[in-house]
Amino acid sequence: MASRKSPSLKTSVKSSLKSSAARAVKGPVRAIKRATRKVAASARTASPARKEATSTGALKLPTLHESTTSSGLKVIAAERGPLPLVSVRLILRAGSATDPDGKHGLADFTARLLRRGTRRLTAQQIDEAVEFVGASIGGGVSEDVMSVSLTTPAEHFAQMLGILGQLVRDPVFPQSEVDDARERALAQFANDLDDPSVIADRAMVRALWGDHPYGHDVGGSTRTVSTFTRDDVVRFHQERMGPKVAMLVVVGAVKPERVAAAAEEAFAGWEGGPDAAPVIPPLKKMPGAGRVLVVDKPDQTQSQVRLGGPGFRMGHEDYFPATAMNIALGGGFTSRLMNEIRVNRGLTYGVSAWFDAMQADGVYVLSTFTKTASTREIIDVALAEIGGVREKGIKPRELTDAQAYLAGLYPLRTETNESIAGSIADTRLHGLGDDWVEKFRDRLRAVTPKQVTAVAKKYCYPQPPVVVVLGRADEVKKQLKGLGPITVVPASEYE
Amino acid sequence: MRKASQLNVPARVVDPALESLFDVHEATLPNGLQVRLLANHQAPVVSLYTFFQVGSRNERPGITGISHLFEHMMFNGAKKYGPKMFDKTLESNGGRSNAYTSHDMTVYYDDFAADALETVLDLESDRMRSLRISQETLTSEREVVKEERRVRVDNDITGIMDEELGTLVYKAHPYRWPVIGWMADIENITREDCQEYFRTYYAPNNAVLYIVGDIDPKKTLALVRRYYGDIPRGPAPLKVIDAEPEQKGERRALVRHPAQSPALMIGFRGPAAREDDTFTLDVAQYVLTKGEGSRLVRSLVYEQKLAVSIMLDWSWRIDPGTILFYLELKPDSDPQKVEAALYAELEKMAREGVTERELQKAQNNLRSDHMRELTTNSGRAHALGHYEALLGDWRRLLSLPSSYTSITNDMVKAVVAKYFAPERRSVVTLLPAPSEA
Repeated sequence: MASRKSPSLKTSVKSSLKSSAARAVKGPVRAIKRATRKVAASARTASPARKEATSTGALKLPTLHESTTSSGLKVIAAERGPLPLVSVRLILRAGSATDPDGKHGLADFTARLLRRGTRRLTAQQIDEAVEFVGASIGGGVSEDVMSVSLTTPAEHFAQMLGILGQLVRDPVFPQSEVDDARERALAQFANDLDDPSVIADRAMVRALWGDHPYGHDVGGSTRTVSTFTRDDVVRFHQERMGPKVAMLVVVGAVKPERVAAAAEEAFAGWEGGPDAAPVIPPLKKMPGAGRVLVVDKPDQTQSQVRLGGPGFRMGHEDYFPATAMNIALGGGFTSRLMNEIRVNRGLTYGVSAWFDAMQADGVYVLSTFTKTASTREIIDVALAEIGGVREKGIKPRELTDAQAYLAGLYPLRTETNESIAGSIADTRLHGLGDDWVEKFRDRLRAVTPKQVTAVAKKYCYPQPPVVVVLGRADEVKKQLKGLGPITVVPASEYE
Repeated sequence: MRKASQLNVPARVVDPALESLFDVHEATLPNGLQVRLLANHQAPVVSLYTFFQVGSRNERPGITGISHLFEHMMFNGAKKYGPKMFDKTLESNGGRSNAYTSHDMTVYYDDFAADALETVLDLESDRMRSLRISQETLTSEREVVKEERRVRVDNDITGIMDEELGTLVYKAHPYRWPVIGWMADIENITREDCQEYFRTYYAPNNAVLYIVGDIDPKKTLALVRRYYGDIPRGPAPLKVIDAEPEQKGERRALVRHPAQSPALMIGFRGPAAREDDTFTLDVAQYVLTKGEGSRLVRSLVYEQKLAVSIMLDWSWRIDPGTILFYLELKPDSDPQKVEAALYAELEKMAREGVTERELQKAQNNLRSDHMRELTTNSGRAHALGHYEALLGDWRRLLSLPSSYTSITNDMVKAVVAKYFAPERRSVVTLLPAPSEA
């Protein structure tokens, strides 16, 4: 069953080591879903879970075992069955926010090239060794981290971790591979222009963040990627990737002692990289606030619409009240936005809002789409719903329903080795505390109506939001009068 | 060489590791509803799937897309739980729901906190027993589906190409039209059409219920009997006739649309899911496009640098399906050259087969992917329904790894030679047209 997501502000962590399976591959529509809602970008924001009235089964999380390799890499292991599979996640504080000026996309580009040859293995030998046993190595870059993920049958764990270690420590970045990767990336950027939601998201990122380190697509752009040289990649690897800004998480059917031993073998002698994680400042001013950006794509019969305003960083005290509020406003199928825009008016197939909370700062965004003629109407209805919550908060019943919904589904986040590894990595990265998963439902249930009222006033666009519309400018522009100064740019601006 | 079974067909030996995970309780209610229950106490959550044996395959021209539109209507109110109450009740009890429609089936699923089980059974049985279809909700939902069509097809290059390919591959079979339906048909489906559809295809004897998770199977079966037992059996749905004529040569279509690069979508007529060749094609698919080291990715993406990406989709279907390639090209790519390179690889495989190592690699990957599919409650429930609907018995999921390991190089060679023959081929080429700005 293939089905596309409804538009999301970002494609979360892009799968970039596997170019054949990266975001580019869009399967044709075979089976189609009722709707695909944005399941808030990544482990960062998603947060299903349950209600006070109903009982709470305890969450059985595996015990965490910590160790450190002689090279200084922190290792966290959690043993978990019953299937004989293991998931590994290595995260490095080398996300797209660390891309050098004029070299946007370099972290992502480097991640893609890690598996194209190491000192001991050629790209083909790596592919063969990993894929033969039924393992897979993927990777990607978000704003805050570069991550390399491995899933493998348990019996091949140590050997596969050894290969992952080589990719991260000893990549050689052959000149021909760098040239080919650049050429493929440029073709990809060109083809992205044909995907309306991708371009709308890219325009939105720039309008929200401007010159901030989060203000560019993690993949960069045609302009920056076309300047990439092998030296750029080698330098990024030397300067940004090292054991002191990395962490290894292993979850699955393998003993913690074996994990520690295998990690020592794979990462002994690893050196280089920075001593400390980069410090990203919060956003000072949202450049597109109060402005309307129209991205012109004349062949469209539908407009992609994005709204956005300030949010908060991960780990902020507003996280739980804001998350509960957003469920009522823009979360599930019964949210106010879904109800007004889709159910009552049939204006769209998908609408959702979410807090995108990152290491340094965050945003509160809405994403939807509608036929060209109803572009203004959908914006007006969305702003009215958001404004209604800002002025009057939500009803007590809406809060308890939101708490029940999130708390009831939260245990789903502990179902797979991958999701547990992701949670562990996120809680450590953002300093959320090791009891984050276990306490999550209690903290959510403790949210009071008063707290929700306060966050609603703060985040439901008290100042005019960023408005981005991708569609037919000649028809859309006249509809948008009165929302703020309008700028029209061609879609090619975002190649 | 590994040994083939004597008949040279895929083996069916139950995998002990899988068998221990699938202690499934089965029952059939007097009204024909089939029930499959599986306990898993790892987390206090449950997944419930309802598979209805109806999809766009059961439609006719004039009401194409009704299976999918109807799927949306199943969320719009029944007798006990009126409009908006399904989602409201479910979500406020710690659950969520969604559904999908394919050519062959319509599948509804709920994930929820274990203690919401009875509420979910009440909700699900209510809409199976007594769905209410109002003109008002139909009018509104129709607009939602039209937006869905715009986002998936009209403004999406792969959507446009896939729709074109369907009409090339199939001349008579209902697989000819897209699951979402033609726009004009979506606009004209009536309330009466929906009611007729409900009576025919949503009766308990046309459905199978799967519940997997933190449950007590015995108590759960008693609850299922209580909530679903009184829903009356319906008439047996009409049999779908596969009147598809033999294809006698390659078919081609050209699509001009504003785009940066040309693209290719190529379909080969494949077997039905229940034919043994299905498994052998799975192996061929893995050798061809699974992973960076697969033949086509290595050759077309990395060595010849002709494509940005390549995808092979071999989706099993009840009636003979399509083996589909999608090639994302570069702005200056020559689609003819890419096609020739693809066919050369396929011909080589038909002539020489695969290496012993490639074969084993495919089998290893098919096994670990199958395992991964079964890690969650939702994955297990879906797998039970999927294999039962397409292969006739959910137990086939237990023997799947053995079916793959018994496949030989000769079988792969024969299957590749048969199905990738030029006369089974349909080709859609997208050429960039200037934007109408």
